[in-house]
Amino acid sequence: MDDIKNPTSLINKDYETIDLVTFEEWIEDSDKLSKLGVGVILEPSNDVGLIKDKLDSIELIALDFRNFDDGRGYSQAYLLSKRWQFKGEIIGINAHLDQLQFMIRSGITRYQLLESYEGFDEEDYSNGFSICYQAAANNSGLNLKY
Amino acid sequence: MYQYNAQDKQFLVERVDQFEKQLKRHLAGELDESKFRSLRLRNGLYMELHAHMLRIAIPYGILSSDQLRALADVADKYDRGFGHFTTRQNIQFNWIQLPEIANLLRDLTDAGLHAIQTSGKATRNITADPLSGLTEGEIEDARPYCELIRRWFNLHPEFSWLPGKFKIAINGAKLDETALRIHDLGLRLVRNEKGELGFSVFVGGGLGAAAMIGPETASFVPIVDILSYLESSLRIYNLKGRRDHQKKLRIKFLVRELGASEFSRLVDEDWQQTKDDPELKLNLTELESLKKDFALPIEPINLDGFKETVDFNYSIWKKNNVRSHKVLGHSIVNISLTKLGAAPGDATSEQMRILAKLADQFSSGEIRTTKRQTIVFPFVRKDQVFDLWKSLEQYGLSSPHQGTLAQIVACPGRDYCDLAKAVSIPIATRVQERFNDMNKLLDIGDLNINISGCENSCAHHHVADIGLLGMQKNGEEYYQITLAGETLRETHIGKKLGPSVSGETIVDAVENIVNVYIDNRQQEEKFTDVFKRIGVIPFKEKVYG
Repeated sequence: MDDIKNPTSLINKDYETIDLVTFEEWIEDSDKLSKLGVGVILEPSNDVGLIKDKLDSIELIALDFRNFDDGRGYSQAYLLSKRWQFKGEIIGINAHLDQLQFMIRSGITRYQLLESYEGFDEEDYSNGFSICYQAAANNSGLNLKY
Repeated sequence: MYQYNAQDKQFLVERVDQFEKQLKRHLAGELDESKFRSLRLRNGLYMELHAHMLRIAIPYGILSSDQLRALADVADKYDRGFGHFTTRQNIQFNWIQLPEIANLLRDLTDAGLHAIQTSGKATRNITADPLSGLTEGEIEDARPYCELIRRWFNLHPEFSWLPGKFKIAINGAKLDETALRIHDLGLRLVRNEKGELGFSVFVGGGLGAAAMIGPETASFVPIVDILSYLESSLRIYNLKGRRDHQKKLRIKFLVRELGASEFSRLVDEDWQQTKDDPELKLNLTELESLKKDFALPIEPINLDGFKETVDFNYSIWKKNNVRSHKVLGHSIVNISLTKLGAAPGDATSEQMRILAKLADQFSSGEIRTTKRQTIVFPFVRKDQVFDLWKSLEQYGLSSPHQGTLAQIVACPGRDYCDLAKAVSIPIATRVQERFNDMNKLLDIGDLNINISGCENSCAHHHVADIGLLGMQKNGEEYYQITLAGETLRETHIGKKLGPSVSGETIVDAVENIVNVYIDNRQQEEKFTDVFKRIGVIPFKEKVYG
């Protein structure tokens, strides 16, 4: 897991290259960085509440899902998308095929799978159900029953 | 009774399809063991000492006769002809072959049965009082709430990858048959001073090496707000729970480290942001519809002229196993599966089919499972109890042990489980052999003995009158004794008696403890009351003296 390198930039929906800074770099110097149109990478252990005041000046946010069993990213995604209505993209990086359905419904707007999943049918895993039993950040157009 | 509709069954099929694909990838070497482990546990599948164990959910302990027959078919087709009812009201099969899992699960979908979230670090099956809806003086029947909360956390996108497993119990009665304060989260239905219905919430209880009684985090959450409150509790746990230490994953460690009041404050702070979200309000239309689905299938019957059959064995069984019902003319019948030498809770496929048939004949086709690993028939006419007993006796299911010391709760133990440090079932057998005189058992009365083979505490030994915990000392099996645990009226963790006792002499120790109780009790005094009055010393003196 540790040999997976995080990206230093990501392409946004307008096909522009957006430089990424870490959570610590953002906290350290958010006044300056907020004028540069950067994106922020959050690790699961980062307190997402600490960036909420300047969300409007963050271009995009990347959440790191490399650790399969660490579910904090799902709550981070929920808080950013549903509670604080972050307008930019929330990109799940180092994502696992078998968790796409959870990521998308928690508010992730785009994902980048880990290399090891190349060749699998993503569609099959991101949308395998006809119904869901709870309201979430994104109900993915599923029939709701609750 | 409430049943899944076509949409729900379709969901179960989709879940099996998904798991089958994952299983195939794993077998083809395309999904590594650690990720597959996480995924298979969330589908109820364990790798045990000798084979694979699959746990099927019995939501809040309610089964239809058809569901029980479907489980019997699984026992025959995929296992060795039996299943094991657990202390969390579920059923386990111990001899399952990996490539057959998907077919097994697919067979169950038609009966509305599944293994979703019966293991793994997610919200587990919700447990409830097996007498929900059946007894006088209930605050409210918990079952419709159990179902709505179960649904909400079924593959919940945000809370399916928690730091640790998460067990919820819901009680609507005055006495607590669910032991809710030893759960990760316990809900007690209550009414406020205006008579409105809500929940008291208790978070961070648990057994295991660090047994804790869950503190109350909210004294009254209105029923319509319970989903958002539960979400906030789980969100704080998901974000702040310990993930760095294998032995501190459960929410009780977070609650203990933060302090109950700080934990409650964080939950409340989060909840204030969501409690008014209309999407998170409990669906009251659905609640009303579920109340209809859960309505009792019986009407009061006046049986004034009815004369009970006089039979010595029947009357003993009836005294221990039959309870009064709130609906006139009916009884609640408890059926013990306890058999000498067999694991408590074990049932053969033949027994399951017989119970299903008898449930159709005598109990409106409904069966309930209990945390004491017994079976309840909830709707038996008073004038048919004798006929039911005759049938049970014919099939060896009329053990009159319910509510006596011989109704021992034990985990599978070292014979079956690779986590266990010591055997459990052979100790239960030896205790039952020692106390095999029914007059003596009746004299002793309702006394719980629970035996866990390791600190995971699957048999809930901390909350039994007499709890035994298996351990290893110099390569030999020893048992630590705890006394006077309880959950029914109040919640208390049992007190350690003293040094652990060898497997060889443990049954003598149990007998000595029972004798101290009998010698000291006044009238109908319960074990825990005697213990509170006389303290631990007389027990110590007798066991170690």
